[in-house]
Amino acid sequence: MRTVAYYKGCLASLSAKELDIATQALAPKVGLELSELEAVTCCGAGDIHEAEPDYYLHLNARILAYAEETGTDTLMTVCNVCTLNLRQANHALKGDEALLERVNRNLVSVGAPAYSGGVEVLHFLWLVAAGEGYELLKEAAHKGLKGLRIAPFYGCQILRPSKLLGFEDPDRPESLERIIEACGGEPVDYPAKIKCCGFPIIQAREDVALAELIQPIEQAKEAGADAMVTPCPLCHLSLDAWQSKLRKQTGKDFAMPILHLSQLIGVAAGLDESELKFKRHVVSVKPVVEQLAI
Amino acid sequence: MKVAMKIWRYDAVAGERALREYEVDAPEEATLLDCLDLVKDQLDGTLAYRKSCRMMICGSCGMRMDGAAVLACKTRMYEIAQSGHVPVISAMGNLPIVKDLVVDMEPFWRKIRAVTPWLEPGYSDPGERENVVSQAEMDVIHKESLCIMCGCCVSECNSMEADPDFLGPAALAKGMRFVGDARDQARVERLQAYSEAHGIWDCTRCYFCQERCPKGVDPRDAIAKLGAEAMREGIDSDLGARHAKWFVTSAKTTGWLRETELVPKTQGVVKSLKEIGFAMSLLRHGKVPPPIPPHVAKHVDEARALYDLVKHDGREGADGIVQIEKPLSRLEHGEGEDGAAERGPYGPGSFAKPYLPELSDESESSSEGRHA
Repeated sequence: MRTVAYYKGCLASLSAKELDIATQALAPKVGLELSELEAVTCCGAGDIHEAEPDYYLHLNARILAYAEETGTDTLMTVCNVCTLNLRQANHALKGDEALLERVNRNLVSVGAPAYSGGVEVLHFLWLVAAGEGYELLKEAAHKGLKGLRIAPFYGCQILRPSKLLGFEDPDRPESLERIIEACGGEPVDYPAKIKCCGFPIIQAREDVALAELIQPIEQAKEAGADAMVTPCPLCHLSLDAWQSKLRKQTGKDFAMPILHLSQLIGVAAGLDESELKFKRHVVSVKPVVEQLAI
Repeated sequence: MKVAMKIWRYDAVAGERALREYEVDAPEEATLLDCLDLVKDQLDGTLAYRKSCRMMICGSCGMRMDGAAVLACKTRMYEIAQSGHVPVISAMGNLPIVKDLVVDMEPFWRKIRAVTPWLEPGYSDPGERENVVSQAEMDVIHKESLCIMCGCCVSECNSMEADPDFLGPAALAKGMRFVGDARDQARVERLQAYSEAHGIWDCTRCYFCQERCPKGVDPRDAIAKLGAEAMREGIDSDLGARHAKWFVTSAKTTGWLRETELVPKTQGVVKSLKEIGFAMSLLRHGKVPPPIPPHVAKHVDEARALYDLVKHDGREGADGIVQIEKPLSRLEHGEGEDGAAERGPYGPGSFAKPYLPELSDESESSSEGRHA
């Protein structure tokens, strides 16, 4: 078992609880012992970085410090946006001694632990797409997906900027495809799998966001996907919850089920409905469930 | 070496597109631009593309290779040719195609002009003494000043694809270059203008611009700096700015995002009420967490106290934006065990690592031989 500090972020704590539940249930099957962080806050989602940049840095340093305090060297995330925000702050803190010293002074004076720079932030996807995690995943996914056609949707902030993320080629990623195959599904290829779902501006510029959102769903549908899978709960929320708005706007009912990565692997690993929580999805996952007869 | 390429040809008059394959014999150090020159010289004189300096400074030869915008003169072909992959070359995206690989840059220049891309020093007579600016003051906008206006960042901008009127990464980065200039006297007016519709808050943070820029401008970071500067000046009435502010309020009060309140706080109560039907559809699936009792993080008092300390430190606006790369430095790409390196279609590290030919006598003479 590899022990990692687990930062679930806002969405998996709130509107995407199903992601947290499935991840916690799946973790031991893929060799991960999760040490959940409780005394942590939102990473700022890019918004605090823009509104109050220095506060963003302090909040993320505090998350990293609490992760380090658990004694592990890995902070596991389950959200693209958390991953980028934490990695960006970590990069800044590790590369600037004076900055780290000032931030630590502030952390300690409010009663938080100081951060020494000893944590690496890794998304759950990366932990199971390569190395030992991948081998364990292949064993765990014994129930398979019966050749279900799955469209991988990466989203942005797990690929770009690659200078900060760097796990795989940002233009030709393969991690999700590898996982879909290992689970016994058939990956469906389509160009918009690395594009934006529109979520960051879905409140402020809904029309622009919807024009972005329709691309992956429409292309995945045309490519014959039974469902889509994403490693990001924000992408999940726009793909799943905002699909009804696309129907209203375009008259097209895609009825495309959207799975969280942990759910997809979870299905293949034999998790039951109490651990998958498909009822919490807006677009029904029933066609997938029926096809697999789980 | 043999270099094979497929090129999307386009004839605007006839409106015809065709994908043609070419193969040239090029020296090992050849760039994509060198290979296009060989195609034009030896195989097809009708091929159209732009070029000028051939050394990554004029910004003329932006085009797409396998769907990703690159400067043709910066892109070495050795590893691609060795891998046996035949890349597809096409015109940049988000701009109208004139012929083959040549795009109409007018929409690009229109947006650059729209950000007033010159210094507004606040005087017309420069006076007798020079206006000396320190290196430290120029460092702030060093990265934005590197822009060669090639359009690679615009090519894959997801917001611009969805909204062609979006000012876009190149124009906004140019805007930051002047907002951050210590000599500029139109800072606030600029920030107000850039904060309007199709400006700062229309960026969807897809980071394609950052990924594509061949000069390290990091346009998305420049847009974040503009957002931070605008909010420091209190120019925060746009929905995007209100959205951002609610995250700060959430972090200070409960630690976690107060998700359900985000909509009325961003859009206002009246507009939110119009969305009640949509909200109900989400509520049924637990997608609208009840705001009461609030989901409060443990030791949230620390996050509150940190806010006051940060305010006291006073490192606000663009100064606080995390720079992925500091000015005048480049990150080195590691080739970790789990990295993309081994799995890239072009072999280890090919998406990041430039090809440097080995300077042995043998390779020099052999490549010269192929030239002849």
